[in-house]
Amino acid sequence: MNAAASSVVLLAAVAVAVPLGGAAVIATGACDRRLRQAAVATMVVALLAAGGVTAAWHLAGGRAITWGDRLVGGSLVAVDGLTTLLMPYAACVSLAIVLAAPRQVLDAAGVARTLVGTGATLAMFATSHPFAILALWLVTAAVTWISTRATPGGRGAARVFAIAMTTATAAMTAGTCLLVSDPPWERASGPLGIAGGWLVAVAVMIRKGIVPFHSWYPALFGGAPMSVSLAATMPQVAAYSAVRLLIGHVDHAEGLAPELEFLSNVALVTAVYGAALALVQRELRGFIGFLAMSQSALVLAGLSGTLPLELSGALCVWISSGLSLTGIGLVTWALESRAGPIRLDSPQGRFWDAPTLAAFFLLFGLAGSGLPGTLSFVADDLIVSGSLDEKLYGGLLVTASTVLSGIAVMRCWFFVFGGPTALDGPRHAILPRERLALSALLLGLFGLGLFPGPLVRAIEQAAEQLLHPASASAGFPAPVPSSVVPQEFAPP
Amino acid sequence: MTHHDLVSMLVVAQLAAPAAALVGIGLPALFGRPLPEEATRRSVAAGFALGFLAATATLALIAARGWRAEIVNVGTWFAIGHHEHTINLVADPLSTPYVCFSTGLCWLVNAFAGKYLHREPGFTRFFVLLAVFGTGMNLMVLADSIDVLFVGWECLGISSALLIGFFHERRNAIDAAVRAYTTYRVCDVGLLVAGVVVHRAVGSGAFERLFTTDWPDGTCLLPPATAQIVALLLVFAALGKTAQVPFSAWLPRAMEGPTPSSAIFYGALSIHAGAYVLLRCGPLLDEAPLARGALLVIGAGSALHAAVVGRVQTDLKSLLAYASMAQASLILVEIGLGWRLIPLVHVVSHAVLRSLQILRSPSALHDRHELEAALGGPLSAGGPGLIGLLPERWQARLYRIALDRGFEEMAVGRFVVAPVLAALRWAAGLEDAWIAWLARERGRGPR
Repeated sequence: MNAAASSVVLLAAVAVAVPLGGAAVIATGACDRRLRQAAVATMVVALLAAGGVTAAWHLAGGRAITWGDRLVGGSLVAVDGLTTLLMPYAACVSLAIVLAAPRQVLDAAGVARTLVGTGATLAMFATSHPFAILALWLVTAAVTWISTRATPGGRGAARVFAIAMTTATAAMTAGTCLLVSDPPWERASGPLGIAGGWLVAVAVMIRKGIVPFHSWYPALFGGAPMSVSLAATMPQVAAYSAVRLLIGHVDHAEGLAPELEFLSNVALVTAVYGAALALVQRELRGFIGFLAMSQSALVLAGLSGTLPLELSGALCVWISSGLSLTGIGLVTWALESRAGPIRLDSPQGRFWDAPTLAAFFLLFGLAGSGLPGTLSFVADDLIVSGSLDEKLYGGLLVTASTVLSGIAVMRCWFFVFGGPTALDGPRHAILPRERLALSALLLGLFGLGLFPGPLVRAIEQAAEQLLHPASASAGFPAPVPSSVVPQEFAPP
Repeated sequence: MTHHDLVSMLVVAQLAAPAAALVGIGLPALFGRPLPEEATRRSVAAGFALGFLAATATLALIAARGWRAEIVNVGTWFAIGHHEHTINLVADPLSTPYVCFSTGLCWLVNAFAGKYLHREPGFTRFFVLLAVFGTGMNLMVLADSIDVLFVGWECLGISSALLIGFFHERRNAIDAAVRAYTTYRVCDVGLLVAGVVVHRAVGSGAFERLFTTDWPDGTCLLPPATAQIVALLLVFAALGKTAQVPFSAWLPRAMEGPTPSSAIFYGALSIHAGAYVLLRCGPLLDEAPLARGALLVIGAGSALHAAVVGRVQTDLKSLLAYASMAQASLILVEIGLGWRLIPLVHVVSHAVLRSLQILRSPSALHDRHELEAALGGPLSAGGPGLIGLLPERWQARLYRIALDRGFEEMAVGRFVVAPVLAALRWAAGLEDAWIAWLARERGRGPR
């Protein structure tokens, strides 16, 4: 490993170790008086380190870096295009959460668990080893379950989550063991490997809230603190597991594995179903839960595709929907901390109570449903075009999902903020730290939407490396096989 | 500086001026420091004024060169493989006069709204949305690619829905805004899918790859079958914003918004956005007899519907909404007949007249009294019209149909919206019950 690669691995280790170290310190009670400052400082360092990984990796030539690949074929440390996209993204989401969290829900144990979850997620994004992924899958699920169970009134949600995650983890464990028992596991073609692939696919379906295993998604958003729900769903560890264990090793030019084809189809249905149910929710948290489920399914549907455009669209949706849903979640959390839970069965009249939060909610909502000038517009364009290129019904379902999401967001905004209200009633001004967190997320969405060039190039690189793993270690660009270019396209 | 550079700079200025005004008043408002009323109004006025002056200068420049189209390539927005989004704008005999007209109208309405909304709690919000609309409108009109056109088109839809729901304390305003946005969003699928089809067909969304850009005499460069599909999708997209049957129920309810926005959106610019897109893509329609036939049938039907229903409206803004719809429908018929200049003249003249009528509508009684005082007697009630020639029994039936707004809203509500919502609520109830059972929560069950 050369010096550049070593620096990338070192920075990745720092990005993982800092939140874990921060969690250890906070759990001792040493920072109880300055809990938020400690958590924010920890996450800022982690974000800088994660950003450093991305910068150093690109400076090093953009080749996949692996280390420790002696045990059952996986790499304990694997940094490629996908890693460099997801590490800063996950750190950014966590930073926004700890920055904007209402004071009354901040406690040392909860913050420590959030940081442990973040560290485990960052570690997962930096490995491709099947057993390391399995272990980190378990840690992230356990952190979510403990935090939900510790919340007053959260036991029901914790129970639903536990049922889903126990099943998913069992399937994941069995599937991973079967996969690695059929060497070379990356291209498992024997009966054990095929069975393992299907079991991993089922685990991914459950963890990603794909119909019919989706019930934990709205339950978690309804019963857990917003920080826990966002930290559990926005990084999309199941999508990452699917990429490393199922998608990244398929030769897409030869067509899709049956389990991926199946995953893609059910994810498409879930994307439409989630967006449609978001339209008729009676509680704001239910709305966010179903919207998040729809967007998450959209990512999986795109990842299971065979065209660079579709895969790039999925990666773009991964980031854009994560940032926008985190924004919506944080605004909701801020509103709830001032005036309690929000229902959607009639207009709630919150506009004059918190006009700035209303503006942020609208911007995040629209930014998550294809507002021109935001990253989600780019993401929607890529995924719709890619899906229509791949299969007509897929493209139409993706389009239906984005249409329904947009309508659901607009309806939700009017029902939360519209309605009779006392103009001279008390106003709840947005707090500086809330404004900072929300502005930073919004800046990311608009900045990357107005000037998407560098991100889109990085996403394209990551997509190419996933589609053609052999080219990943040879650097970018990889040749595009003629079979993935639509036949109708006649170059000028 | 060459002629092309000068035109490019002016075309970019037409977009940048209202966009700068939007940022100038939007950012302080987002950070809790909205500008004072006068500064807000003046900022937006300056944006529109600069845009108008830039458009007028562009008009003079391209007129001096024999109305030759000037294509401005601002750059590539993003590209993946063969899928490339370029920001292409065009200054030609269609776009430049249209920007002069639309920006000028926005400028006038801006002046009117400054007084009309004085001390209104949502003053800044109105002007932010007006700036979004102005920027989106210029983007749509100047677009030389279907991608840029879609961006502008979406800005129109979002600003329109938010302005319909401007008085969001009222339930009617909320329902009207959600209804309008739903209609827009459904019909936007046409434009979205048309964009994808175009990219697949020629590898780019640039209009110069779809048809020759010598408006109004362009010729289609796409194969007939592709042109037919794209044209049908564009017609579908236009139906929503132009409020054609069966997507027209949102228009009379859209008058819930403030009068200045009703004037600029539903009397002047937004209602004609679909017609503009079809005029821009006219060469595609020339190769698409099916799409032109659809325009003729739907346009004529909608015109008849609006003319009949509009006659029995009891409030002025609804009456004006149906009058707008009737004229917009006739414009679609003209486009369906393959005409170019007549619909363009029709758009401009109708927009000017209708926006004036809507802006004056709050003072209609005052105006009437002034006229009567000037004439020294009551104004005539007007003639019976063509309907008076029908047998009385038919007149009664027609009256009933008109009162029920042609049963359009009832049919769409009962046979499309209600079943879909009922199915979704049933599914949501099952979801709740299932989650409650899993969570062992008592008292939580189906809705």
